[in-house]
Amino acid sequence: MSEILALDGVVKRFGARTILDGISMKVSAGEIVCFVGPSGTGKSTLLRCVNGLEPIQGGSISFEGAPVLAQTASIRAVRRRVGMIFQHFNLYPHLTALENVMLAPVVVHGEARAAVEARARGLFDTVRLSHRINAYPAQMSGGEQQRVAIARALCTNPHLLMFDEPTSALDPETVGDVLGVMRDLAREGRTMLVVTHEIRFAAEVGTRMVFMDQGRIVEEGDPRQMVASASTERARQFLGAINH
Amino acid sequence: MIAYLPLMLRAAGTTLWLSWLAMLIGAFGGTLLALVHMQRIAPFRWLAIAYMEFFRSVPILIVMFFAYYGVPLVLGLDLSPFAAATLALALHASATMSEVVRAGIGSVGHGQWEAAQAAGFTWLQTMRHIIAPQALRVVLPPSIGVFITTLKESSLASIIGYIELTRTGLLVRDSTGGGFAPLLALGVLYFLINYAISQIGAALERRFQTGSRIETVGAMA
Amino acid sequence: MNYTFTLRTIYPYLGELWQAAAVTLWLSSLAIVLSIALGAGIAVLRRSRLRLLRVLGAVYVEIMRNTPLLVILYVVYFAAPAIGIRLSSFVAALLGLTLNSAGYMAEILRAGLIAVAPGQFEAAQSQGMTGWQVFRHVVFPQVFRTIYAPLGNQVIAVILASSLASAVAVEDVASWMQTVGSTSFRFFETFVIAAIVYLVLCQTVNIARLLIGRWLFRQGATR
Ligand SMILES: Nc1ncnc2c1ncn2[C@@H]1O[C@H](COP(=O)(O)OP(=O)(O)OP(=O)(O)O)[C@@H](O)[C@H]1O
Ligand SMILES: [Mg+2]
Repeated sequence: MSEILALDGVVKRFGARTILDGISMKVSAGEIVCFVGPSGTGKSTLLRCVNGLEPIQGGSISFEGAPVLAQTASIRAVRRRVGMIFQHFNLYPHLTALENVMLAPVVVHGEARAAVEARARGLFDTVRLSHRINAYPAQMSGGEQQRVAIARALCTNPHLLMFDEPTSALDPETVGDVLGVMRDLAREGRTMLVVTHEIRFAAEVGTRMVFMDQGRIVEEGDPRQMVASASTERARQFLGAINH
Repeated sequence: MIAYLPLMLRAAGTTLWLSWLAMLIGAFGGTLLALVHMQRIAPFRWLAIAYMEFFRSVPILIVMFFAYYGVPLVLGLDLSPFAAATLALALHASATMSEVVRAGIGSVGHGQWEAAQAAGFTWLQTMRHIIAPQALRVVLPPSIGVFITTLKESSLASIIGYIELTRTGLLVRDSTGGGFAPLLALGVLYFLINYAISQIGAALERRFQTGSRIETVGAMA
Repeated sequence: MNYTFTLRTIYPYLGELWQAAAVTLWLSSLAIVLSIALGAGIAVLRRSRLRLLRVLGAVYVEIMRNTPLLVILYVVYFAAPAIGIRLSSFVAALLGLTLNSAGYMAEILRAGLIAVAPGQFEAAQSQGMTGWQVFRHVVFPQVFRTIYAPLGNQVIAVILASSLASAVAVEDVASWMQTVGSTSFRFFETFVIAAIVYLVLCQTVNIARLLIGRWLFRQGATR
């Protein structure tokens, strides 16, 4: 399979604090990489570096063969092909669900409204929200908002989807809806990076698990095997604690 | 210029006194107005709204001229510049204060009324012992903003000839040969006074943890 | 007590009243537009990465909010000639009003910007929007909604405050009232007429903004 993302010795600092301390990894098309690890170890930061929301201080990132350079005009070309889903949804509150999904394809990609709308309606079917198409974010539950956010990310036909704890801000009863949609996406063969504390979901859907601690990749491998018996003490402790 | 500083400081005292008096009357008037506004009888409510809208839509300068030149003509009662200025500033402040007080009373939950009523309190007792103490912490911080506005507006008393801080600054300017140092001193004095007061307001806000100073926006004067 | 209200003596001056009203309207409109521009600059300054610029912006706002407009007008009007610039009354008044109003505008705009969650910028950026697109499609509509009401208040405040321009010899409605009052001795009538002019101007703005607001924000969008 073709490689679409490569990180090589990525270092990220905030002031004197080193948050990412030499991260190297490659991701091929169709992979579903699940990132787990204690709070504050830089998982979110890693995703944010991939689409250039944060500049890096060392190493390099390349996406589909081209370098990811934050704070340059070229970063927009990367962002057009990478969809991001946030923990707190970040839907545009002044737009309806449908308008949220249509904004970037029309404005950023310059597509015709009619074509975008047809595709958007199809995506609302995918995320099972066709009945909420004209609702505003404030009128929707967290689970509904997150599924709109997924549709919004999908509507630009991204080559890579990044999820940052997509279910952490949800009520328990709506978590399943969102995970269900993500499962469907996995089945379609999408390439995904998922930061999550849902270990069971990671074991079931992920093709690879990456355990991070203090800015480093401590262990990576097959999710099921790692959950059953991680080879490092640190990962075993963490996965054991989180898996009850 | 330095020689005139004591004079200007005394004039600042006059300005403070004028503003304070107007604010006091305005706060009383505003509270009354708020209570009238809250009554069920529609004509009362309309009257209160008309009063507020009127003073929100007519410049304080006009009100001040009216108090000084108009009131004597119509009522045959001569007002000194001080009385006219106090009246105008108080009328203006009462319109703003009525909204502040209304918001304060409104901030006290309905449950408080019901609890008091259930315990057999009369309307007045409820107001006095339950509502007012709670409303006060919401009312106080924006009142500081209204006071600052009143203090700035009091500079207009100079136009009807009352010798407060601004008038004094202009007089000092005339007798020192027309430079603009006295005007600058004037600005600095007003700034220092108002800034000090606004810091008190900010402290109250922190203490009571009430809303932002946005309330006082639009209080340009 | 037996004052008779009569407008007959005022009739000859009504032509000048229209001119005066036009001056008030023109002065206020210019001051509003210019102070929004200046206020926006200061609001951006207050979000700068450089501490010095942030402090500068804050100091500006505090000075303008704590100094009477009348004093600011006098300083501008009398200081300009002292440093060798000749300003007409109108320009001096416009400058004073704009400088003062900008202090308030900056705060209104800043509050509007703060109300936009940081996640909004991130979401828009991560969709590949340019800086302009982020502003145009995501930030501005949200800022506009928050500042709509306070902005309306400030527009009214500027119209009212423009009456102080009469103190530096601008021939606006307040100045009409003073001159006609003292030449005709019909003080009461001139006050009533001037008050009505301001009342109509301000209430027009007030009602217009309510109607426009209802139309603009008619959908169920609460935030
Ligand atoms: N803009 C920033 N400025 C300074 N420090 C930051 C910034 N963003 C993140 N950090 C710090 O970087 C560290 C890693 O943060 P990050 O959000 O990437 O952790 P995480 O692994 O996603 O944790 P969590 O599971 O709690 O989401 C944290 O200690 C955080 O305080
Ligand atoms: Mg995180």
